[in-house]
Amino acid sequence: MRKNVFARVVSFGCAALIAGGALAADDGLTLPAGFTATVVQEGLGAGRHLAVAANGDIYLASRKGLNAMRVDKSGKAVEVKPFGDVSGTEVRIFGDWLYVSDDVGVYRYALKKGELAPGGAKEVVVSGFPKERQHSDKTFALDPKGTLYVNVGAPSNSCQEKDRQEGSLGKNPCPILEKYGGVWVFDGTKLNQTPANGRRFATGMRNAVAIEYNAGQKALFAVIHGRDSIDTLFPALYNAQDNATRQAEEFHQIVDGGDYGWPYTFFDTKLGHRVVAPEYGGDAKKVPEAGKYPDPLVAFPAHWAPNDLLFYSGKNFPAKYQDGAFIAFHGSWNRAPEPQAGYKVVFQPMKDGKASGAYEIFADGFAGDMPDNSPNNARYRPVGLAVGADGSLYVSDSQKGRIWRISYKK
Amino acid sequence: MRIAAALFGAAAIAACAAASDPVPVAEAPAAAPAAAPADPRPLGQQLYGRHCLSCHQADGGGVPNMQPAIKGGTWVQGDARALSLFVMTGGFDSASRKDSDVGNVMPPFRQLPDAELAQILTFIRAKFGNGASPVSEAQVAEARTSLP
Repeated sequence: MRKNVFARVVSFGCAALIAGGALAADDGLTLPAGFTATVVQEGLGAGRHLAVAANGDIYLASRKGLNAMRVDKSGKAVEVKPFGDVSGTEVRIFGDWLYVSDDVGVYRYALKKGELAPGGAKEVVVSGFPKERQHSDKTFALDPKGTLYVNVGAPSNSCQEKDRQEGSLGKNPCPILEKYGGVWVFDGTKLNQTPANGRRFATGMRNAVAIEYNAGQKALFAVIHGRDSIDTLFPALYNAQDNATRQAEEFHQIVDGGDYGWPYTFFDTKLGHRVVAPEYGGDAKKVPEAGKYPDPLVAFPAHWAPNDLLFYSGKNFPAKYQDGAFIAFHGSWNRAPEPQAGYKVVFQPMKDGKASGAYEIFADGFAGDMPDNSPNNARYRPVGLAVGADGSLYVSDSQKGRIWRISYKK
Repeated sequence: MRIAAALFGAAAIAACAAASDPVPVAEAPAAAPAAAPADPRPLGQQLYGRHCLSCHQADGGGVPNMQPAIKGGTWVQGDARALSLFVMTGGFDSASRKDSDVGNVMPPFRQLPDAELAQILTFIRAKFGNGASPVSEAQVAEARTSLP
């Protein structure tokens, strides 16, 4: 039974990927037939997430701050205005507000008619998350009621006694999970909250940069960055090829009270099941307690770095994309010396909140030749996704701060 | 179906990466390790590949916001003793890199023997340090006496 199912999904996956090979190029990007990419803007700093208002104005978060853009009919930015004092990753429009975040808080600016960039001061929704050096982006999602789901990444690779040190075992239980490594929920309409006002909604999530609420399913979803360096930390168990390929980037529906297994386990794409992490007694095949941690909806390849998730409900794309998931993969660094991978936007067909087929490469070619196999030398690295009122998909980049509008013409 | 869904990603990639291979990867027997041919690269480069490359990358360029570049910087080609000590202790900041804002901590490499550390440091100083002087085993051993 398992073998038959396996064979069927494999052939489905190949068909999808081969179809992707015969596609048109656009700004060096490879897109499915009928799609075109237009460069909206570039040069606004290392782009992170972005949001598009009903009137077409675009808001980009970057490590250099926030920018608002107005575009002409061709989709190119004709006016750019920096605003605010927040440098971070998330930006979302909710009602008449622009919600943004940095490493320590979530804030909002009032959006006023006729005003491209918000002119007022920011309001603090939540502040006081500890300043950390890794996995510190406080990406978030909002549901239609204004419930705020904040990704609080773990400032650690695998909760070792000594982070990223060869052979160091995991702390058990992992104390980091008390304040990090999960999703914390707040009332997004209340101001001046602290982390203590939040409630831990889900745990065992190393860093869920790509987090999204699906209003149709009334459910939260995330694609989680898996752990690094199983080979250099435990060379007796794993080699460089194992490290480059085995630890899935896990796509989950995130439920209240859910535990997704970090740091105790990871989903091994070679074995096709979850394994105990080497820091916690894993031997590269030992399985954790049955039923304790869910399998992912989809196990994406190791180190691809899922940085944004979007469920498509726009009017522009063909019917097959409706309610499916787009995922922006920033691309790997920890696959070296094996070839780097990721650096693409993927489409995952979905039905009733589950994967309904193999994922497809939607937009590729961002990285270019990438000399020396070095992420620094990537031409572009996709980060953020947003949908405009016309149904176009917008993609941001962290190398040159480029933004593309991807549209479909019949 | 749950298993099938979980396998979509892995299966598509694994199967398509080896399109001519009819055996599903998940069911393939483990391949016996082939006898590795002698590595022609200098020892320092080999050791860099084993211990340093996955973070600092093949070109020494590091990864933005993750690990710092070690090419073109001043401290890799600077004082050999300070460099030796930093590589043995790890941490975020070397004596001359207080402004580092990268995310990941560098692990200590004091477990490596003096001779291997000397090879690595000599390699990175030649390759990423504009031809800075080699570091000897004796220099690493002397620096090691200052470790706590």
